Amino acid sequence: AVMHRLGRSLVARGMQASRRGNASNAPAAAPEKIEVFIDGKKVLVDPGLTILQACALVGVDIPRFCYHDRLSIAGNCRMCLVEVEKSVKPVASCAMPVMKGMKVKTNSELTKKAREGVMEFLLVNHPLDCPICDQGGECDLQDQSVAFGSDRSRHQCGADGKRAVEDKNIGPLVKTVMTRCIQCTRCVRFANEVCGVPDFGTTGRGNEMQIGTYVEKLFATELSGNVIDLCPVGALTSKPYSFTARPWETRKTESVDVMDAVGSNIIVSHRTGDLLRVIPKMNDEVNEEWISDKTRFAIDGLKNQRLMQPMVKGEDGVLRTTNWEEALFTVASKLRQTPADEKAAVVGGMADTESMVALRDLFHRFNSELLLTEEEFPVGATDFRSNYTMPDGLAAVESCDALLLVGTNPRYEAPVLNARIRKSYLYSDVEVGVIGGKTDLTYDYAHLGSNTKALDDVTAGKGDFAQRFLSAKRPMIIVGAAALKGDKGAALLSKLQQLADKIRTSGKADKDVKVLNVLQRLASQTGALDLGYQPGTSAIRKRPVKFLYLLGADEGAVNRQQLAPDAFVVYQGHQGDAGASMADVVLPGAAYTEKDASYVNTEGRSQKGYLAVAPPGDARADWKIIRALSEVAGKALPYDDIKEIRGRLSEIAPHLVRFGDAEETSFESTAAAVSEKSSSPVDVDVTASQSTLADFYMTNAVTRASATMAEARKAALKEKDNEYTETPKKHAHA
Amino acid sequence: MPRSIAGLFYFLQRAPRAAHTACRGQTRASSVPVVSGGDAKRKPIEEVMGTAQPKIETITTVEDTNKGVISGVPEEHQQGRTARIFKPAREATQQGWNNTRGWRIELDNRGRWENALIGWASSGDPLSNVSMHMKFGTKEDAISFCQKNNWNFEVEEPKERSIKPKSYGSIYSWNKRFRVSTK
Repeated sequence: AVMHRLGRSLVARGMQASRRGNASNAPAAAPEKIEVFIDGKKVLVDPGLTILQACALVGVDIPRFCYHDRLSIAGNCRMCLVEVEKSVKPVASCAMPVMKGMKVKTNSELTKKAREGVMEFLLVNHPLDCPICDQGGECDLQDQSVAFGSDRSRHQCGADGKRAVEDKNIGPLVKTVMTRCIQCTRCVRFANEVCGVPDFGTTGRGNEMQIGTYVEKLFATELSGNVIDLCPVGALTSKPYSFTARPWETRKTESVDVMDAVGSNIIVSHRTGDLLRVIPKMNDEVNEEWISDKTRFAIDGLKNQRLMQPMVKGEDGVLRTTNWEEALFTVASKLRQTPADEKAAVVGGMADTESMVALRDLFHRFNSELLLTEEEFPVGATDFRSNYTMPDGLAAVESCDALLLVGTNPRYEAPVLNARIRKSYLYSDVEVGVIGGKTDLTYDYAHLGSNTKALDDVTAGKGDFAQRFLSAKRPMIIVGAAALKGDKGAALLSKLQQLADKIRTSGKADKDVKVLNVLQRLASQTGALDLGYQPGTSAIRKRPVKFLYLLGADEGAVNRQQLAPDAFVVYQGHQGDAGASMADVVLPGAAYTEKDASYVNTEGRSQKGYLAVAPPGDARADWKIIRALSEVAGKALPYDDIKEIRGRLSEIAPHLVRFGDAEETSFESTAAAVSEKSSSPVDVDVTASQSTLADFYMTNAVTRASATMAEARKAALKEKDNEYTETPKKHAHA
Repeated sequence: MPRSIAGLFYFLQRAPRAAHTACRGQTRASSVPVVSGGDAKRKPIEEVMGTAQPKIETITTVEDTNKGVISGVPEEHQQGRTARIFKPAREATQQGWNNTRGWRIELDNRGRWENALIGWASSGDPLSNVSMHMKFGTKEDAISFCQKNNWNFEVEEPKERSIKPKSYGSIYSWNKRFRVSTK
């Protein structure tokens, strides 16, 4: 077998070499398509595709366990065997490249027999515990054994019984039942390739082969939950979701995540109005096939600390539950009494676009304009959309050749984006430079300093990275929104704009790159700025605000001391956190899984989420609360359903209702020209606030209320004391 | 024939057939079982049934209310429902692509609750199972179905996957960043 595999890899290498030779002779010509026949059907495919991929092109799914679209090819499960004409033996289609005129039979007797053989061997050591296995109903092994499994086994348990393997403890999120493992090594490859945490491996060989971490340790990565989806059997399942539901009992609603500004596409599973789990929905432009652990596991926070009834503060200063009527009338009367310039609204990180536009319209009806976001950003910079979005898009990190990260830790601020950067790092020659904290980002980078003074050296071309960056064809700067906080934020943004402009006009970079990209941290921020909200809460401190409307603002950016002494605070949101505790009236809103709502991600891509479960208690969809309030206050807003409010959104900015598409930005150079320039270096330390895994888990009101996230954080903190934990000094072996 | 009666007949005769052909267009390629061994061959449907008669375009507009009455859908669900027309994404938990092929209709989600008596899921929405049982061959079929039932609809274009060349041999590269020493 060893000889055989070696031979195969030599063939593959030879093929590659010859391809490379052809390419160097005629670099400009597109590779000629190869003609192959899949089950007699002629297909023209690109050279270099594997048989399995060619089959996928014509809609033939080859059964597989080890092969995964987004991981490297292992070729060890042998389930994808197909018959190829003129080949004596069946061929592993996942690893074999297509050759001209190849005739593949995916359904022949030989193919079937080969797969049945593989399946029999797999089932010899696979436990018969489907009835108590969490993978049951969505198990690749289960499904494929229906097609290729025998109804009886030749395996005799008498002598040595079935193989049994000790379960591993890899943390509070992923449950392992290692006896079920079929050694496909998907989790190993995922950890190595996508997470950059090479903790998984195989030990032993033959029947004794095991997947594990060798010494007990936490699978310490922000993407760990994805191995649950990857695992084709029930060896790795979700710990919080264990023994909860079967896939056929659940309903699935496609939605959008709000834990970070990436806007990962998700599928929410629910049963009888009960939220059960979140799994990723594939979208190559946004989150590929992954979601972060916060996205996946924080949903139990939506069942704790919820605001379910309207509440009004009594004479004694204690919030008491009441009905909607009283709450709305109390708010409306204050809204009418307070002079226009003493009213302010602050939106938090998980607010949807619809509720923000309703709140904006409500305040405008009362001639009030103090509409703020809780997250800070340079105030003057929001006139140009290119200043606060990521105009090159998330997918652009895969095609960029030089990447500069400023004041951001994408690993924890946008884990899915970081996985993409790592992918780019592995499979292309991208050079990464970092201005900010020196942490493990899962790829090697040139650390240029934690102070933004280093930026001037990049602009001046000092140093290897700067040289490379200035001469790159598709350079990209990603600046964290947190770095642009404070007094010097505008100056830093301006510096970055000048650098981006210099690159755009130098002629070395491609015409279509925008270079400067802002990575927001909150799901609502881009949408709020699109709607004309003023970033930051500093305006509140400048005048005595007597009426404050908090729309899910829970990060404590505003407190009572900053307001007028007799200020009236309304909190609308779904979580009892900092905002609700300072409020005079609490209006219970809906969480992102409980309403039809849209969110604009950091690219400026508006995406729709759908109602999966009803809001608990008396809680209502947020825009409806504001609509109701407007009517009680005597200035009814002119929209009654979601369609009409989206019509209103399109009046303000049409891209907000072009769901799924990222709107292109323009005027980058103009934005750079009007920004406030200074020749002196900007002196700010832009070390990101999240630097370790423990910092990742609890960042907003939902995750703070989540027991799972608390446990994950605890495990991550404890892992720091594990003497076997090591941070790789270098990520590339070459 | 009065207009309303015409509509009645139209619905009786045409609607089920339209739905049927839509489904057939979907299933023909993949899920119809075909004998794999021997030399059994599927005959094209035209050979057995003869060529299809062109549709008779006599009635173009029909009173919507009539259809509602006949379909038995309660009145409150005949108006104001919004359907989402989409192609489901591949399940992240499994590898098969077959379920991504048909277009689906999903109506706006209404409340569900656990039945206190038997613990099963209850719903006041008679249309909540629409997405589970209907697949359409094309987007247009789904749209016309929504129009017939008086539902508002929105179409979500699917995100296509890209298949990029991949090589088994590349994992043995000794000078690439993706080289790993563990397996």
